[in-house]
Amino acid sequence: MKDLLKKNGTRSVLATIISILIGLFAGAILVLIVGLVSPRIGIKGAWDGIRLIVAGILCTGREAGSLTFGFNLQVIGDTLFTAVPLILCGLSVALAYKTGLFNIGASGQFLAGTCATLFVALSIPAGALPKFLIWILAFLAGVLAGAAWGAIPGLLKAFLNINEVLACIMTNWIAANLVTWMFDISNLKNLVEGTKTGYIYKTTYGLVNVNGQWMYQDGLGVATPKLGLDKLLPGSQVNAGILIAIVIAVIVYVILTKTTFGYELKACGANRHAARYAGIRDKNSIVYSMAIAGALAGSAAALYYLSGNTELSWEVYQKLPAEGFNGIAVAMLASCNPIACIFTGLFMAAVKQHGSQLSFLTSYNEYITDVIIAVIVYLSAFSLLIKTWIGGRKKTKKTKDINPVQPKDDNAATGKGAAE
Amino acid sequence: MEQAPEYVIEMLHITKVFPGIKANDDITLQLRKGEIHALLGENGAGKSTLMSVLFGLYQPEEGVIKKDGKEVKINNPNDATALHIGMVHQHFKLIDVFSVLDNIILGAEDTKLGFLQKKAARKKVKELSERYGLHVDLDAKIEDITVGMQQRVEILKMLYRDNEILIFDEPTAVLTPQEIEELMQIMRGLSKEGKSILFISHKLNEIMEVSDRVSVLRKGKYIGTVNTADTTKEELSSMMVGRPVQLVVEKDEAKPAEPTLEVKNLTVPSKLHKNNAVKNVSFTAHAGEITCIAGIDGNGQTELVYALTGLEKASSGKITLCGKDITKASIRQRSLAGMSHIPEDRHKHGLVLDFTLEQNMVLQRYYEPAFQKAGFIRFGEVRKYADKLIEQFDVRSGQGAVTTARSMSGGNQQKAIVAREIDRNLPLIIAVQPTRGLDVGAIEFIHKRLVEERDAGKAVLLVSLELEEVMSLSDRILVMYEGEIVGELDPKKTTVQELGLYMAGAKRDNAEAEEAQA
Repeated sequence: MKDLLKKNGTRSVLATIISILIGLFAGAILVLIVGLVSPRIGIKGAWDGIRLIVAGILCTGREAGSLTFGFNLQVIGDTLFTAVPLILCGLSVALAYKTGLFNIGASGQFLAGTCATLFVALSIPAGALPKFLIWILAFLAGVLAGAAWGAIPGLLKAFLNINEVLACIMTNWIAANLVTWMFDISNLKNLVEGTKTGYIYKTTYGLVNVNGQWMYQDGLGVATPKLGLDKLLPGSQVNAGILIAIVIAVIVYVILTKTTFGYELKACGANRHAARYAGIRDKNSIVYSMAIAGALAGSAAALYYLSGNTELSWEVYQKLPAEGFNGIAVAMLASCNPIACIFTGLFMAAVKQHGSQLSFLTSYNEYITDVIIAVIVYLSAFSLLIKTWIGGRKKTKKTKDINPVQPKDDNAATGKGAAE
Repeated sequence: MEQAPEYVIEMLHITKVFPGIKANDDITLQLRKGEIHALLGENGAGKSTLMSVLFGLYQPEEGVIKKDGKEVKINNPNDATALHIGMVHQHFKLIDVFSVLDNIILGAEDTKLGFLQKKAARKKVKELSERYGLHVDLDAKIEDITVGMQQRVEILKMLYRDNEILIFDEPTAVLTPQEIEELMQIMRGLSKEGKSILFISHKLNEIMEVSDRVSVLRKGKYIGTVNTADTTKEELSSMMVGRPVQLVVEKDEAKPAEPTLEVKNLTVPSKLHKNNAVKNVSFTAHAGEITCIAGIDGNGQTELVYALTGLEKASSGKITLCGKDITKASIRQRSLAGMSHIPEDRHKHGLVLDFTLEQNMVLQRYYEPAFQKAGFIRFGEVRKYADKLIEQFDVRSGQGAVTTARSMSGGNQQKAIVAREIDRNLPLIIAVQPTRGLDVGAIEFIHKRLVEERDAGKAVLLVSLELEEVMSLSDRILVMYEGEIVGELDPKKTTVQELGLYMAGAKRDNAEAEEAQA
C-alpha cells in the first residue's frame, strides 16, 4: 500500500478523484444557494437538485412528486454517446500537451472535421457505394480535414516560430466562418420553412434521384452501427462510436509510450534543442504532433455527426463547438494520460447528463445548469494543484521516516544533487 | 567570555535534510573577521545547501548560526541582509535592460516623496568602486557589458548594502583567465578592508592562491578545516574526493594517424552581429590525437562546433568526415557518418531533462535495431544498456535508470552525456568543455576516458576555455581569436603565458594565418 501511494500514477488518480469530489461539492453548494434564494425552487427543490447534480445519471424520473433512483439505462447510454467527442477532443489536447504543444484549436479542427464528414456523407448518392464504404470515407474525410486544420498552426510554429496558441485561436475563427460559409452555399441545408436558419441534414438522410430531381430521404443515409448496444441500453443514442473512441485512446497511448515515433515527439516537446542535437527533425515532429491532434479532434466530429441522431444547427457566424474546449478540461483532468482520458471524458459526459436531468426534472433554469457544470469542470481541473499538495505532504512524512537512517552512499550523491 | 568574539559567523552542527538525503550532516563552519575562507567540495557535497541555510533560503533541522558570538535566526534572505550577509550567486541576479547603477540600488533605493534619489546613490557607488578597484560604467546596460563586469556589479551590490560577510558562489566558473586574476585581486582588497569572504569553489588552484583557510565537505559531511599555507593541492583533493586524485593527466605520446575530420575554409555567420563568427577556418583532426581548440569564450568556438555538428549552417567551406563530404548533411547523417558530440550546454542540448536517465542514454541511438523493433521501443534492451553505462561510468542517481535527469547533480548529468557519446564508439568525438563545472574527481575521470579513446584510435576534438585543461589534455592546440585560428601550438613546447598572448590576440602565427587564407 505504501509503495502504491508513492507511485506517481496513483497520486495522479487520487488527485483527480479528490478534485472531482471538490467540484461536485462546489456544484452542490451552488445548487443549494440558487435553490434557497429562488422561491420557485425552495429547500425541497434544492435537495432534489443536489441529488441530481451528484448522481443524476442514476435518476429514473419522478413518481408522486419525488425523485426515483435506479439504473437509468437511457441516461447511461446517452452518457456513453456524449462521451465520444469529449474523449477524442481530450486525446487531441493531451497528445499535443505531451509533446509540448497547447492545442487550443480542437474546436476549429472539430469544425473542419464536421464539415468534411457531412459533405462526404451527404454528397455521395445513396446506392452509389455500399453504406459501410460511405461511412468509412466520411469518417476518414473528417479525420483528414481535422489533421489538415491542425497542421496549419503546427507549420506556423515549426517554420515561422509563431506561438501555436495564437495560431490555434485564429484558425478556430477562420474555421467557424469558413464552415458556416461552406454550408451556406451548399445544398445540405434542411431549411425550416420560411426562415433562413435551420439544420444540416442528418447523416441518416441519403441523396436520391426522384424523377430527375435530387432530394434527401430519411433512412437512406449512413449511421454508425449500434452493434446491439441500443438493445443493451434501450432508448439511448449509444452506438459503436464509444468503442472506436476507446480503441483510438489505446492506440494513442501505445504510440506515445511504446514507439520510437512517440519518443521523438515527446523529446521534441520536452526539449526541442536536445531533440535537434540528437538528429530528430524537430520541425517535422511539431507538425506531426499538431496534425495528429487535429486528426483526433476531426474524428470526434466525424463520430458525433455520423451517429445519425445528431443534427448540426447551421447558423450564420457559427459559434465554436464546446467539445473542443471541454477537451482541454478532459485532458487536464486526466493529467494528459490517454487511457485516463476515457474515464475523464465519461465523467464530463455524465456531468452534462446531470445538468440536463437537472433542468428536465426540476425548476432549475437551463442556464444556471450550465453555470453549475462550469463550476464543477473548473474545480475539477485543479487536479495538478492537488497532486502537488499530496506530493508535498508525502515528502515531509518521508523525511521523518528516513531521518534516523544513515543514507547509503549512492543515494547520498543524488539527493544532494537535488538539493543544490 | 565577553571579549570580542573570534568569529563573525559560526554555523554550528548544521543538519539539513531533504527527502531521501541528508544534504548537510552536522556541519560546522567558522568564519574569522577579514579572512578569505574557502568552502571546498565536489558537486553535490552540500556547499550550496549550507550557503542557502546561511542566506535564509532553507531552515536547518538542527544546529545554530551565530553572528559575532550571538545566536541568530535567519528565516529569509531579508534577515540575512539585515545581518549584513551578502551573496553573489553563480548565475547573476541582474536585470539585463537596467543600467548598472539601477541594478546596484534595486531593492535598496533611497526615495523622497516616492521619487528616486539617485544622486546620493551614484556618489556612494562611485566611492565604493574607487575604494575597492571595481571598475564599472554606471550608465551602461547590463546586457552590453562583459560577464566580468557583471560580476563586479554584483559585488558592488553587496558593498552598497554595507555587507560585512560576502559569499561568492563559484565565482570563477564564468570568467576568463584574465578576469579570474582580476577577481582574486579584488577579493584580496576586500579582505584587507575587513570584509569576511566565504568563497565556494572546487577549483584547487584558485583556493590555493587566494584563501586563508579551507573547509572541506564531502557527501554532506564536514571533513575538516585547514590553513591554506599548511596544505597542498594533493591533500585538499584527497580530502574532497576521499582518495588520492591524479591531478595531472597521465598519457603517452600521441600517435596521430590518418585525418578523420578535415575542415576547409569554413565560414559561419554570427547570430549576434553582422560579421562572420567563424572566418575562413581550416584545420584537420587526426585519429589518435587530441586536437584542442583554445580561446576566450565568444571567439567563434560555439559557432564552429554548431557548423561542424550541423546545428547551424555554414555559409561557405567544406567539412569532410572519414573521407565523406558532410558539408550539407543533416545532423542525423553526420552522426551516422561517425561523429559523436559532447555539447557545450548540457541542459540545452545534452539532455532532455524531463526524460528519465535511461531515455536520455539512448537519445542518440533509440532508432537502432538494438533498441527498437518495427518502431516499438525494446524497453528491456534500453534498461540493460542504461544499467551498463551507469555502472561503467559510475553515474550516480537516486533511482538508477529511471531517475529523472533533472533531479541529478550537474556532474552526474555530464557523466551520463559523456557515457552516451563515448559508448557510441564513433571515429570522431567532439567534446565541448566536457568538464565545465565539474569537480576534480569527475574531471579526472572524463580526462582519462578521453585519453583512452584517443589511444583506441579515435580523433578527439576538444574545445575548452580552461587553460589548464588545454595544456594538460591536448596533443595539439589551435588558438581561436575573433573567429580565426591564429596559432597552432605544441603543448609540450609552449607556456601558459604564450598561449594567453595568442588567446588575447596579441600574437599570431603568420604562417598559419597565411595557410588559412590560401
